[in-house]
Amino acid sequence: MTNHWNDLQHTDCAMIIGANPAENHPISFKWLLKAKGKGGKIISVDPRYTRTSQQADIYGSLRSGSDIAFMGGLINYMLEKELYHKEYVIAYTNASFIVDEKYSFEDGLFNSYDEAKRSYDKTSWAFKKDEEGKILKDLTLEDPRCVFQLMKKHYSRYDVETVIGVTGTDKKTYLEIAKTFGATGKPGKSGTILYAMGATQHTVGTQNVRIYAMLQLLLGNVGMPGGGVNALRGESNVQGSTDFGLLYHNVNGYMEVPTASPEEATYKGFLEKNTPKSGYWRNKPKFYTSMLKAYYGNNATAQNEFGYQYMPKLTPKKDYSHMRLFDAMYAGELEGLLMFGTNPVVGGPNAGKEKEALSKLKWMVAVDLWETETSAFWQEGAGSKPADIQTEVFFLPACASFEKEGSITNSGRWMQYRWQAIQPKGESKADLEIIHLLALRLKELYQNSTKPADTPIKAMSWDYGHGNHPDIDLVCREINGYDMNTKKQISLFANLKDDGSTCSGNWIYCGFYTEEGNLSKRRDHTDEGMGNFLNWSWAWPANRRILGNRASCNPSGQPWSKDKTVVYWDAAKRLWVGNDVADFPKDRAPDIEGGTDAFFMLPTGKGGLFAGVNEGPFPEHYEPYENPVSNVFSNIQLNPAVKYGLEEMNAKGEAKDFPIVATTYRISEHWQSGAMTRNQPWLSELASHMFIEMSEELAKEKGIKNKDKVIVTSARGKVEAYALVTKRFKPHKLKEKTVHQIGMPWHFGYKGIVTGETANRLTPHIGDANTTIPEYKAFLCDVRRA
Amino acid sequence: MAAEYLKFVDVTKCDGCRACMVACKNWNDLPPEYEEFQGSIQSHEQLTAHTWNVLTFNEQETTNGGFEWLFRHQSCLHCVQAGCEKACPEDAISHTKFGSVVVDADKCVGCGYCVQGCQFNVISLATYKDKRGKEYRKAQKCTLCTDRLEQGLQPACVTACHTDCLIYDEREAVLSEANSRLLQVKDRFPNANIYNPQGIKGTTTVYLLADKPSVYGLPENPKVALSQVVWKDYAQPIGKAMLGVTTMAVIGAVISNSIAKVKNGDKGVDHHE
Amino acid sequence: MEMNVTRRQFLKLSGAVAATLAVVELGFNENEAKAKANSFKIAGLKPTPTICPYCAVGCGILVYSKDNTVVYTEGDPDHPINEGALCSKGTTVRQVYTSDRRQEKPMYRAAGSSKWEEVEWDWALDKVAQKMKETRDRTFQTMENGVTVNKTEAIACMGGAALDNEETYLLSKLMRAGMGLTYIEHQARI
Repeated sequence: MTNHWNDLQHTDCAMIIGANPAENHPISFKWLLKAKGKGGKIISVDPRYTRTSQQADIYGSLRSGSDIAFMGGLINYMLEKELYHKEYVIAYTNASFIVDEKYSFEDGLFNSYDEAKRSYDKTSWAFKKDEEGKILKDLTLEDPRCVFQLMKKHYSRYDVETVIGVTGTDKKTYLEIAKTFGATGKPGKSGTILYAMGATQHTVGTQNVRIYAMLQLLLGNVGMPGGGVNALRGESNVQGSTDFGLLYHNVNGYMEVPTASPEEATYKGFLEKNTPKSGYWRNKPKFYTSMLKAYYGNNATAQNEFGYQYMPKLTPKKDYSHMRLFDAMYAGELEGLLMFGTNPVVGGPNAGKEKEALSKLKWMVAVDLWETETSAFWQEGAGSKPADIQTEVFFLPACASFEKEGSITNSGRWMQYRWQAIQPKGESKADLEIIHLLALRLKELYQNSTKPADTPIKAMSWDYGHGNHPDIDLVCREINGYDMNTKKQISLFANLKDDGSTCSGNWIYCGFYTEEGNLSKRRDHTDEGMGNFLNWSWAWPANRRILGNRASCNPSGQPWSKDKTVVYWDAAKRLWVGNDVADFPKDRAPDIEGGTDAFFMLPTGKGGLFAGVNEGPFPEHYEPYENPVSNVFSNIQLNPAVKYGLEEMNAKGEAKDFPIVATTYRISEHWQSGAMTRNQPWLSELASHMFIEMSEELAKEKGIKNKDKVIVTSARGKVEAYALVTKRFKPHKLKEKTVHQIGMPWHFGYKGIVTGETANRLTPHIGDANTTIPEYKAFLCDVRRA
Repeated sequence: MAAEYLKFVDVTKCDGCRACMVACKNWNDLPPEYEEFQGSIQSHEQLTAHTWNVLTFNEQETTNGGFEWLFRHQSCLHCVQAGCEKACPEDAISHTKFGSVVVDADKCVGCGYCVQGCQFNVISLATYKDKRGKEYRKAQKCTLCTDRLEQGLQPACVTACHTDCLIYDEREAVLSEANSRLLQVKDRFPNANIYNPQGIKGTTTVYLLADKPSVYGLPENPKVALSQVVWKDYAQPIGKAMLGVTTMAVIGAVISNSIAKVKNGDKGVDHHE
Repeated sequence: MEMNVTRRQFLKLSGAVAATLAVVELGFNENEAKAKANSFKIAGLKPTPTICPYCAVGCGILVYSKDNTVVYTEGDPDHPINEGALCSKGTTVRQVYTSDRRQEKPMYRAAGSSKWEEVEWDWALDKVAQKMKETRDRTFQTMENGVTVNKTEAIACMGGAALDNEETYLLSKLMRAGMGLTYIEHQARI
């Protein structure tokens, strides 16, 4: 989230698209309803009418997979009706930048597409520069080659009639949404977009989010209280686990994992390649070196490139993400798997195949509170033949969150501490202790090795106190970072050094543990103004609560609206002050060079209306991997930058066999794969049955009655469940034809107090062109009575 | 007896999260009851002895072609003139100073007359086993968390509610909030109404409903039958003194059955009286 | 940093004297029912603040534990986000502890076996460390295209979205910086 939960109360309009917060983030509605009570509007855009829709002022239906069409139409509307915030757009976005001649767009493809590689040369989408290397601009936004005009041209194709022919949205409703959200383009007004996996779990997921951000930049909503682009994160610490490098492509604090390319053979080369020349990331060497110092301690020296060579290097261009990991497992390339509280046999795409892949492992370790469908994948109940499965499986019982202590980071980036309320149940242990005990054993196994290959594990520092349970305070101190000589805690990441004199396990968390102590433990619930509780816990970065908040002020540094003041330039003090920590150099005056570079982390300091992700600088509508209609915007059906994985893992269904669009989702009473909630009586009682939601129209066509048992099939599997026939699903009336859609929760599996068949046996094994997040949210199926 | 505090259920603010259902179970240590698939996301068909509040889900097409998904936190209304209390031959059901209607388990003999006496299908019998394995029954229902009220805490369901759909507050504050909310929601919900039936002298749980009571399965104008009032407030005390407890229980059964007939023919329909 | 908590008294019931508190039959076991009926269940207990383990709203919860079990959990009224309220999942966090389905012992399933065996922690951790070492050593690559790579691509580490920050830190440190894993993934991807 650019903003945070309490801040939702300040919005004039919340557009909820690709999310269902009333069910999946219920307490968000505490704040959304406060906004509503003050006259704010709530818009819910979703393939079906949800509990969120019931609390909304306007509900608009759209077919799964048509978000870019929907949003592209809104951008076109805002530009045509001139509802955008012009001063903001000129000052804070790259709308005025002149684009290089190479850029072009024709019939669904941008320039420089390489069909064989299914990729573009992103450097061909550049800005024109003068002789000094400065970007050329036209602040009148009239130059036909400026971003603004190119964007206008691009989205002029997204007229209302075309859009609703693709999305199936009722025209009157669509226009009402456009008008209502467009009203937030007025200076001083703010609108927020809330999204979750309904946006990201598509082959165009990244561009879905990009186009939300573009609309928000056009309307001047980024950086505003009650504004922003807000990802509603679904797991208690999925923010933290991402911040801390638990994805293959990032180390801590969103920095690069080294690759085996010749430029990165040395640490110097690696830093040169990956450090931008402008923007705050210029400081990357300080952050990276401090991380290496945290990893290897005194074994990281200037002489040995601070231990850079101890870090594993990825094969260049190789994709190690979840689906490719399972492809590799299926192909027998993996021997061992360690899992910490994860259940892919229920939660993974094409879960039946992912389950099969597990049996190719030699060994597997599951650390969990419960026996899950994944840790028990070899059992008969899972449809397996135990005798045929040679995988050795270790189950290590973990304790629950309140049986240990430690911090987690919420969606608004608040790092909140949890204290221990009770001893771990039975023999279960904290994951911290399990990881610690494994590390100690591994270090012991390697301690006498003289092989150079074993240096990394020997060089890794692991000084977290004596005994079996690590001293969490020492872990916290290392994450924040300290001066290697004085051992004093570093108070801010700006003070980190690239010469090895400081360590910091994760630069974006630097500042949470100063000499004052661990600030994530703070419980002062004083509102410092505008719902900013600056002394409650600690937020990264630097305790900032609203990202980009410089943009809540006009170029001269005063708030666009007095009612929406979070920070402002105090000319007397010559400082940015207010009730939030300015997301800006605190003494950079508005009228000096860079004083209006509101997004100062970025190389240009400006919000990117034009920004090169893998499938192009402007989001363009493509149809999902599986879908029943042709793309009316171009002849390119599927996102041209999407990569295919192992064919055996991803059977494709055709519309003639599987004419119905399907999507998966969550319900309020269960969580993710259900391992936590289906093992508890009260939540199991609230939602005991797997069901398939469908419209009355489809049910009638198929001769299905409410409560009947039905079978849903896709090219990958079948699922039996109860039919839930509802008025909340309606057929999508598209231009080409009427398309039915069904939906189902993905919480169920064969373990637990309540059980049900697993929706993900139906889902495809293909993902977004940038993130490779699977396309769970739009695929084809058929349904019949059981 | 008018309670100083009222529980207010503004169904138009409910987002259907069902925290109230499990908050009740959590405070009152009630066991789970796994029910058959209801054909909607509703978990339980109705209130039971172990499930004291149920969130109902109701899909409703509106007259103007619109659609509403109506949610209602359904639990004991704590009637001022309570049918269950009037039906009880053992004086096991009474009002507390909070206006909550509670069952004294020591006095309850599990006869079930209260079940017949309640027009809202709220109270029911739970079956237990004693040390020798012999079954016995006790009437059970929402207590309005009277034990929490005694300690100055709100009912558990109210504490959990994040939308202010459930409020527990001073009578005047609740009634004035109800009136102002009614005006606010009339545009979207033309049939909205405040449900605080005066035929039973009002309730300690007051509703703002988004549609007619019958849409929610509530009687439009509930009353405790005169015969029941006479029985409870006059005949029973005198009778017990003159004829003894057993005889009066038999007479009570006859009266309760007649009430049940009225009630069952009256479910959710606006035609009586 | 103190973990000060308050239990907010909501009602202004001046002069309210405990009168006829109804005795309610609780639970299934008669003895238990009698015992509970006579006492206020959280009387005298000091709650411990925690943050909900489910979605990333990050609501505050107070945990009341007694006699080595969790007797009650409720929203933290001091918490700025939820102000004491919770959803159904947050409300029932107590049962994460009390559920009889929690695994309390390490277990091992041998190749081809159809059952789990309970094992000791030391044995399990020793075996896991050995497996990791064997696989790593057998598959370890030090060079690729003339570049030092120090990695194994035969072990994967998955999950972590429900771990604490400190745990995720140690996990990525051990797996990436220590053991040289490249297949490190978690729920943010799916």
